[in-house]
Amino acid sequence: MRGAWTIYRRELAGLFLTPLGWILLFVALLVRGILFTIYLDRLGGEVNAALSLTQGGSVLYWVLMVLLPPLLTMRMVSEEASTGLLEFLLTAPVTDAAVVAGKLLAATTFMALLWSTSFLYAGTAHLLGAAPDWGALLAAYLGSVLASGLFCSIGLAASAVTNTPLIAAFVAVIVNVLLLFVPLVRANAGQLLHLPPDHWLLDAMRQVDLLDHLSGSAWVGVVDSAHVLFFLAWTALFGFLAVRLVETRRWR
Amino acid sequence: MITASHLTRRFGAFTAVDDVSFHLDAGEVVGFLGPNGAGKTTTLRMLTGYLPATSGGVEIAGLDVLRQSLAVRRRIGYLPEAVPLYREHRVDEMLTFQARLHGLGRGEARRRIGAVLDRVGMASRARALVGKLSKGQRQRVGLAVALLPEPDVLILDEPTSGLDPLQRIEVRKLIGELARERTVLISSHILPEIEAVCPRVLVVVRGRVVADGTPAQLVRQLGQPSHVRLEAVVPDPAEAVRLLGTLEGVRAVADRGRLGIHHQFDVQTDVDLREDVGAVAASRGWALRELSWCQPTLEELFARLALELGPDRAAGADPAPAAPAPPVADALAASGPLQLDVSGPSAVPPEPAAPEPVGPESAPPRRVYNLNPFDQGETRDLGRPKAVDDGGPGGEQGGGAAAGERPS
Repeated sequence: MRGAWTIYRRELAGLFLTPLGWILLFVALLVRGILFTIYLDRLGGEVNAALSLTQGGSVLYWVLMVLLPPLLTMRMVSEEASTGLLEFLLTAPVTDAAVVAGKLLAATTFMALLWSTSFLYAGTAHLLGAAPDWGALLAAYLGSVLASGLFCSIGLAASAVTNTPLIAAFVAVIVNVLLLFVPLVRANAGQLLHLPPDHWLLDAMRQVDLLDHLSGSAWVGVVDSAHVLFFLAWTALFGFLAVRLVETRRWR
Repeated sequence: MITASHLTRRFGAFTAVDDVSFHLDAGEVVGFLGPNGAGKTTTLRMLTGYLPATSGGVEIAGLDVLRQSLAVRRRIGYLPEAVPLYREHRVDEMLTFQARLHGLGRGEARRRIGAVLDRVGMASRARALVGKLSKGQRQRVGLAVALLPEPDVLILDEPTSGLDPLQRIEVRKLIGELARERTVLISSHILPEIEAVCPRVLVVVRGRVVADGTPAQLVRQLGQPSHVRLEAVVPDPAEAVRLLGTLEGVRAVADRGRLGIHHQFDVQTDVDLREDVGAVAASRGWALRELSWCQPTLEELFARLALELGPDRAAGADPAPAAPAPPVADALAASGPLQLDVSGPSAVPPEPAAPEPVGPESAPPRRVYNLNPFDQGETRDLGRPKAVDDGGPGGEQGGGAAAGERPS
């Protein structure tokens, strides 16, 4: 536990000691800020609707969600493996799981910070007299953080596969996109695959359908333990995979 | 403190480490020596628990490195060859990170960081960015990181690579100091390092330990015997061999053949007979070029082991290692032209042998010979030295004349 906390602090500091972290934050803040004002304008001043677009529901949100976690995590294992730092960490008195957990938490924290800019917009709107629904925003934010955790764990596992950060990012982005394709396929399963509505494949797809879980809870202002668990379970699965892949580094 | 038993590591079909067993007592300093790719790093990685062994096991302080991995990791300081450090952090931040990993308290960590930076001579660079440090400085920071938890066992993989000679001496001194408190295992392919620091040496070649002992022991058991080397202008080598052989304490005299006008002999003996040999040379008027006392070095031994000339002989522990050298020398000496030409330089002795006190002004004209056949045409006969310093203005012509002067 202490080991994971130490690694977490180091990784988070590492993200902010390199330009990458600042650049990602800057770009996200800028783009999200501009788009929020555009959303607000188009929606005729509906603050809550515009806020929910910044926490899901817009294409940009999913672009950031698919691209940023791989960029954050791509170096975490692959680069350390090639510089020998992984050898240092794996011979330090911390478990492999603690190393992965620390890194995963650091990347997720960074994403959480990035999504938290929505609170700035809500605060601004509040100051200007509109009444944002803070509860709904908080629930949506939690959903974003949970989903980020899942994407970060995918990125970490991809990073543990290869020694080249760019390949790791590429693999992770592909997995992320495939994951987001599931809801699309599921929604159109009747026409695409000619499946009856009670087919087992649809049930299976439902178990990996992110959007279904988000729209059932976070996006409607509900924090539901079942949906929280759904994200935690998938995050843990990829986290476990990452731990195992890091372990195979010892003999690769 | 460290016990490796039948360690084997295969990578696919390639066996990097093959049935290596050794034991280090607490407080021992052992050098792990081998050519590149001998399996040094692989063995060290298995000792630290980073790499699981294909078969065999390692115990450190009585703990199995794989089963009680965390307990072992708390006890070892490991400096990998690549010196892994976070480049974007400052030196003291890196050390703080290591202190936290080892669960040191804040005050304790601060005290130790100061102490350890002093020790490696980096106290003034505590706030420097690791990425801006030179290779040698980074090496020292790496050493500081390994030392910080005050481990019982220190495993250093090529700790002096990339250091300048001065830093090397410092690191050597540092390791010497550490040796008093800890068990240290150092790998290196640089012999003088190991010889200077380690009382005990393990030599690995192609994944096997081929020798284990103190450098002196290894040299005595496996090395060539010591000898006095004499290089001089000798009129009759056979006579010289006979004459040198009569000196007290000489086991054998090997004629190593001609080098230009000089003849080389190895007078094999256990005691330093330079004065006696020198006296013989003086009395006979041989013009000396070299007279030296050669003791076998770990270097020679290592080269032979690495080339795998040694192990079979080592196994027999045959105390007559003088044998292999002479045949070559004999063959050289026996080869016709060289032998015949020896009469050539016999006329030379008068001038260079002169041992009489010579004042700086009254120095007799010294003749310098150019023995390089390549700047004199390929037909040049090595047996006929060519003077290069008595030519006057027409250097080239004079040289030719000088060569012509030599009686043949």
